[in-house]
Amino acid sequence: MTDLTPMGALGTAGPAAARHGALTLTEDCAITLLSLALRDETSALADLPLPGPGAYARSGDLAAFWTGPGQWMVESRDAAAARAAIAALPGARMTEQSDGWVVIRICSEAGAPPLRALTEKLVNLPAETLAPGRATRCQLHHLNCLVTRPAETELCVMTLRSAALSLWHALEATARRLPAAAAT
Amino acid sequence: MLIPHPLLGPRDAQEFTYLGDAALMQRPDPQAGEAAFADYVFQRDNPAGVHRELWYHEYGDRSWLVVTRDTTTHEILGAKLARNVKMGLPE
Amino acid sequence: MNARLSGGLIDRSKPLSFTFNGRTLQGFEGDTLASALMANGIRLVARSFKYHRPRGIFSAGSEEPNALVTLGTGARAEPNTRATMIRLPEGLVARSQNHAGPLGFDLWSVNDLAAPFFAAGFYYKTFMWPRAFWEKLYEPAIRNAAGLGRLSMQPDPDSYDKGFLHCDLLVIGGGAAGLAAALTAGRSGAEVVLADEDFRLGGRLLAESDPLDAATAADWVAKAEAELRALPNVRVMPRTTVFGVYDHGVYGAVEEVSDLPGAPLRQTLWRITAKRAVMATGATERHIPFRDNDRPGILLAGAMRAYANRWAVTPGAGKVAIFTNNDDGHRTALDLQAKGVNLLGVIDSRAGATPFGDYPIFAGGRVTGTSGRKGLRAIRLSWNGREEELSCSALGVSGGWNPNVQLASHHRGRPKWDESRLAFLSHGGPEGLLPAGAAAGEGSTAQALASGQAAARAALEQLGTPAADTPLPQGEDRQIRTEAFWHVPGKGRAWVDFQNDVTVKDIKLAHQENMRSVEHLKRWTTLGMATDQGKTSNVTALAVMAELTGRSIPETGTTIFRPPYTPVSLAVLGGGDTGKDFRPTRLTPTHHWAKAQGAVFTEVGQWMRAQYYPQPGETHWRQSADREAMAVRSAVGLCDVTTLGKVDVQGPDAAEFLNRIYCNMMGTVKVGKARYGLMLREDGFAYDDGTCARMGEEHFVVTTTTANAGLVLRNMEFARQCLWPELDVTLISTTDAWAQIAVAGPRSRELLSRVVDDFDLSTEAFPFMGCAELTVCNGCPARLFRISFSGELAYELAVPARYGHALMQRLMEKGADLGVTPYGTEALSILRIEKGHAAGAELNGQTTAQMMGLGRMVSVKKDSIGAVMSRREGLAQDGRRLVGLQAVDPQQAIPAGAHLLATGAAQTMANDQGWVTSACYSPHVGGHIALGYLEQGEARMGETLVAANPLQDQQIPVRIVPAHFVDPEGDRLRD
Repeated sequence: MTDLTPMGALGTAGPAAARHGALTLTEDCAITLLSLALRDETSALADLPLPGPGAYARSGDLAAFWTGPGQWMVESRDAAAARAAIAALPGARMTEQSDGWVVIRICSEAGAPPLRALTEKLVNLPAETLAPGRATRCQLHHLNCLVTRPAETELCVMTLRSAALSLWHALEATARRLPAAAAT
Repeated sequence: MLIPHPLLGPRDAQEFTYLGDAALMQRPDPQAGEAAFADYVFQRDNPAGVHRELWYHEYGDRSWLVVTRDTTTHEILGAKLARNVKMGLPE
Repeated sequence: MNARLSGGLIDRSKPLSFTFNGRTLQGFEGDTLASALMANGIRLVARSFKYHRPRGIFSAGSEEPNALVTLGTGARAEPNTRATMIRLPEGLVARSQNHAGPLGFDLWSVNDLAAPFFAAGFYYKTFMWPRAFWEKLYEPAIRNAAGLGRLSMQPDPDSYDKGFLHCDLLVIGGGAAGLAAALTAGRSGAEVVLADEDFRLGGRLLAESDPLDAATAADWVAKAEAELRALPNVRVMPRTTVFGVYDHGVYGAVEEVSDLPGAPLRQTLWRITAKRAVMATGATERHIPFRDNDRPGILLAGAMRAYANRWAVTPGAGKVAIFTNNDDGHRTALDLQAKGVNLLGVIDSRAGATPFGDYPIFAGGRVTGTSGRKGLRAIRLSWNGREEELSCSALGVSGGWNPNVQLASHHRGRPKWDESRLAFLSHGGPEGLLPAGAAAGEGSTAQALASGQAAARAALEQLGTPAADTPLPQGEDRQIRTEAFWHVPGKGRAWVDFQNDVTVKDIKLAHQENMRSVEHLKRWTTLGMATDQGKTSNVTALAVMAELTGRSIPETGTTIFRPPYTPVSLAVLGGGDTGKDFRPTRLTPTHHWAKAQGAVFTEVGQWMRAQYYPQPGETHWRQSADREAMAVRSAVGLCDVTTLGKVDVQGPDAAEFLNRIYCNMMGTVKVGKARYGLMLREDGFAYDDGTCARMGEEHFVVTTTTANAGLVLRNMEFARQCLWPELDVTLISTTDAWAQIAVAGPRSRELLSRVVDDFDLSTEAFPFMGCAELTVCNGCPARLFRISFSGELAYELAVPARYGHALMQRLMEKGADLGVTPYGTEALSILRIEKGHAAGAELNGQTTAQMMGLGRMVSVKKDSIGAVMSRREGLAQDGRRLVGLQAVDPQQAIPAGAHLLATGAAQTMANDQGWVTSACYSPHVGGHIALGYLEQGEARMGETLVAANPLQDQQIPVRIVPAHFVDPEGDRLRD
């Protein structure tokens, strides 16, 4: 692999991290993101049934969420395997996106309520839109964001990599302003 | 305002960009000549009442929608994917 | 100090100290600032807006017109807060406002003596002439004398936030109706938000003495609140004012999170999207204007009752009288009496009225005047043909109740007069907003509970949720009879709108001056236009006007209300982020590197770009920019060009799609090659330019200008979805995925050869406009484009964004011996002007391909957006062309935006021959140069003109030259 040293989207050598109450914010630099576009009705990517509008699905190491009609974002920790899975789909178009987005995972140590308290300060969406297994693109502090909910206690917010610091500020400032009762 | 996205349900209008009259989808045939294009580019109906118009889900799934809206009340009578409208497909 | 009465909802075990105008005073937890001031015997709390009349507390709620005070000190000072809405915290610092000198002796009260001159319309009539005096003399003087509190003029140190709630049912108001609605919907499992402006739920129930079932109302409220708070589907939000109703069930609300100085969060602006809402906003009592009815100590009777019952205070130490036209005034008399207040009696405007208890009644009586300069001392009573002065320290006035229908008017719903209730009820309000309780004219406790529940049931039924059985307690069910008695006629001034100092006389005057429509009345007198939006005055004013015109109230009409229901601070509307965090900022992948080099940055839309890199000894930006530009011309320079928009275009129809998007032919570009492309708008004007690189048979990478990156994608999506959905093509924005660095200059190939892995950079293998995927720096995936913006041999190298920083460092290291130099946007601009490349100023939406000298690019062999209209007569005949301009005196700068005129010609539009688009000092030419559009420009090489900037009286002689100042043949970039 290259002898160039990568830099995190927030300008740090390693992934950025912060903690506010029960919430931990961590930059995910290791995830591979691939845009998948399909013209024809295809129902699955390898073992992963491709989710419908507003949904997020995972199978083994491969996850995907719907980003638009005929379009998905595929996530994987195994870049080669994910690329191979897409390449195996007839008519699939793939675009490398790993460096297009900053990925911030927000985990709660106190179940779903702190995440709900956080998201209602951030995005104008009903709670069910961000229930576990859901994903959507939306506006957050004037940023164009992708928000997924891989699990009950995990929320993932992505925005254009160049706006990483603005997103980080929005998430941290909001987490800091949460009433103590909601944040723990 | 809320736009009833056909795939994603009601979404705040702030997620959308407004373009205008859905007649913009009826681009004339290139052979139709200048007059037809002048009409297409510059002439719009501006009804006080029911209007079919184009909205783009910029902070969303990037779909263009044809939204039917009453301009006097803001009542929204329906929204369809522009692509399906153009292709003559069902919802 | 007034002694506290018995009872009340204050916690006597928790005393609180606060100051008012520097005096330290005591209150209790549960007090408002108003009740605490009253408990301390303070009656004079404010001066009025125009006449500086002494004023006291008039109400017990958000309708307060008088008791506006400034809270806090220094940067935290907040003017114009209503004392009636301030929950008393420990250490509160409050001051009165709008007076010169002490509150008790306001120098501006001379305005009151001059009142005959200050009648309605006074300012409009008086200060019209001479016109020049308005701005310099009249307005500052008036502003100084009139008005409310003053801003601190310092940045607000408090913290604000915004948020979004979505629910099935929003219940606005936590009184009897609101609680019944919330309980009914909450028990049925609906998602409920219950918002109330007060810090304690209960609404009017807290102000009354009647029990609910066998318990006190406060106990029932506490039980209901506890149940609601325990329900996971209900969110209880006290201190939250729903201030506006917007389309499709969107409501604006402000939550007062903390009133303590330095709290982590002070207020939150909530945007609530509710499928249905119950407007349980209660009612506001009316007063009855009579002469000198604005003295401290004269209150709304219902407020007096609230102070006695909830806060155990009374506004007067002596006798208290009630003036009413309805039964509710008697209820106040009874409650005061029960608390041991010394009652003078009830003056009831209705002849034949009888008392409801053991107190004197003056049936058919009127209050015709008052005395007491800084607080009420006596009232004049006209009764039974006699006039007498009665000593009295407080007077409660009750003119009936107005349902709070404001929110229902926010969508132009016009309230409708209900003659039986003598009140306006909401009518034609927004869909999904259901009025209940006193807001719907259902004012008894029993009615309010029942109508609140009915509204919730109706909402649940519309939502398809079965309503759970929710038994309600028994409450009082008095029906209030009211007489249409609107004001006491007579001499002197009788105030209608206290906050804006509008009297019955002013309304008469407005009418005499032919202000017949309500809207005119409002604007001429400013009635109802103060910060309280006339909550205690509008209906009374309408009734007075109706009387004057001999029309009925419905014939007279009504004004409508607009958001906000009560004042909202701009700070909270701003949503919390200020300064550099106010909007997003985008940073390039080499930002941190550039910062470490001492780069100066410039904002380009949301992007921060390095503008130039000052070196030791450089004192002016141009020294840096010139050095950087020269380095590119003589050696090699590096510039981060990541900000250019990049769109991945894929699919079998990608080539055809791009043919239709770009005016020139794109489908014929070979794999491994790139082509310059120009997009037109459908009206034929030039829109955006960039390159189109064919990475594969069905795969293109398109670049756009930085400014138009988002817009071009939007327009391409429009074409893909709305014009030609039959084409099989997909678009993905990849702007941020790649760090793209321009490597430009005669030694760029040499530098690149030191980082590429096994890649032949020779012109034969990789010619001008070539593109390729490769690896660099031992395996880093990369894309290389041989394109040039500067006119030199140049490349753009893209690597995944995370490697951008390291690649820049590597290129700097590897190129040290070649004279490698980072350059910013200033040098970039100089280089492209020298080369005659169009950028934003040349593509400003008013120019055409032809004007840019690219007319032949518009292909006639195919259709594309804008192609047909670009050939229309007006555009085709436009003779203006892009030219280069050289200052005749090389040291004279050419102002961008200057107009081109014949030497000696008058500076008129008729003589205008074109304009300067971009200008710079060219280190290559050794003088100032520019680009511009000029009539018949191509045919005028060598001619001398004047670049005129009349704003600064500049006339710069310029010579017309070709737009390429560097290498016109293009040999360098093909080398």
